[in-house]
Amino acid sequence: MHPKIARLIAYCDAETGADRGGRIARHLSDCEECQERLRRIRGEKEELSAGAGAPALEPGQDLDAVLSAIAAWREGRDGGAASKLTSRLQWQLEKYFGVPAIRRLERPGMRAEEWLGETNRMLEVFLGPEAGEAVRDDCLRGLPWARPARETSR
Amino acid sequence: MTRKAYIDWMESAPRWIVVFLGMYLSVHLLSLYLWHSTGLPFSIPGTSGTSFGIFGAGLAGAGLWLCVVVLRSFPAGAPLRPVWILLALAAAVQIAPGALGALLGTVSLLNGVAWTGYASPDWMERMQRFASLAGGPLRLALLAAAMLALLRVLRKFGYLAKPCAADRAVFGIFCLFTLCRFCEAGAASLAGRPIGSGEWISLAGLPILCVLYLEAMLLRRAVARMGNGLIARGWMALVYAVLLTGAGEAVVWAIPHYPQSLPLAMFGALIEISAAAAYALVPAYLVAAQRHAMNPAASRPEDLATGVPALAR
Repeated sequence: MHPKIARLIAYCDAETGADRGGRIARHLSDCEECQERLRRIRGEKEELSAGAGAPALEPGQDLDAVLSAIAAWREGRDGGAASKLTSRLQWQLEKYFGVPAIRRLERPGMRAEEWLGETNRMLEVFLGPEAGEAVRDDCLRGLPWARPARETSR
Repeated sequence: MTRKAYIDWMESAPRWIVVFLGMYLSVHLLSLYLWHSTGLPFSIPGTSGTSFGIFGAGLAGAGLWLCVVVLRSFPAGAPLRPVWILLALAAAVQIAPGALGALLGTVSLLNGVAWTGYASPDWMERMQRFASLAGGPLRLALLAAAMLALLRVLRKFGYLAKPCAADRAVFGIFCLFTLCRFCEAGAASLAGRPIGSGEWISLAGLPILCVLYLEAMLLRRAVARMGNGLIARGWMALVYAVLLTGAGEAVVWAIPHYPQSLPLAMFGALIEISAAAAYALVPAYLVAAQRHAMNPAASRPEDLATGVPALAR
């Protein structure tokens, strides 16, 4: 049985206990799929930590440079929110459908809005509109995303 | 009961069903084991046919109630609404064998009509026949229609796939069993042996059960492509329920061909009870998923949401 993503992330951060860590390590030695998942987690974590810092301003830069730096910082901040929303949606999809359902939806370069639309569509059909809406609201909580689900899903 | 306690109870409905079924199966398997070791029929209270009927009807009642709860959450026009209407109807007619057959179709203390003296043997036989018809072909037809509607929705989402060799083999074996049953009935008819109404009803349900097996195999493949989430588990329970229904049918057929029919009859009844529990699990998982969605407190770990890389899944 494959370890859950949360367990793999905890393993990646050395936050699992010795027993569980040992079990995951043993599983990883045999399972190519989980090795690949772990590689992707590590790669993304490195990417995130590399891009986490705010852009540095050189002394003597003019107003345009400052404004573009602010814009870049904003973009980075929104990008963080998008990544957060995407991972929340994927977590919900995993809980209600499963990992293969996420893989089926996933496309290269898929944006958070698209994830929101697809997730909302599936949850509305299989879980019912009210419960689907509740999941969507939960995913959007605390994020700068005010668009209603119907608008994004169509 | 407070609203929170009600939601908690509903959320753990699948667990309750599994626990009750486990307890029931444990008691009956223990009595079966004692029968096997002592060689004498070991009778414990509640192992009679009436208890099977009442427990089965209870499970069907729970399934019906959960189906209605789910149905209310799907408004008119929702793609899965017809599926839940048909599943609720199937659950309603599933109560018939237990309620009509075990309560009204037998002379027991629970049969209120028997007290009045109106329940003649003929009347009780008619009740039994009606119960068998409702719980057999009619229910299977409703289930087949529900699964067809469900498969259509799954196809829209791209989950439908061709059945694999194992699925085809299971379906083929059941088709062969159906063919054998019809051949046997035909041979008996040619030999001049009368075929009872119960056997006719059972035979009428077999072709529908074949269709259900095919649908169950397609559903199994679709759910395997979906995963192991709460919704997927509910639909997988429907697959198991259909498989158990077929297995129960095979055991019922085998009973007269087996010299020691008591353990086989009990085993058959346990399969039917397991199938009833599996049918009840279908809406139970969806109710649990809906309650989980409506009450998301502490369901989503914040650190996970912030830390999970997008591609990691």
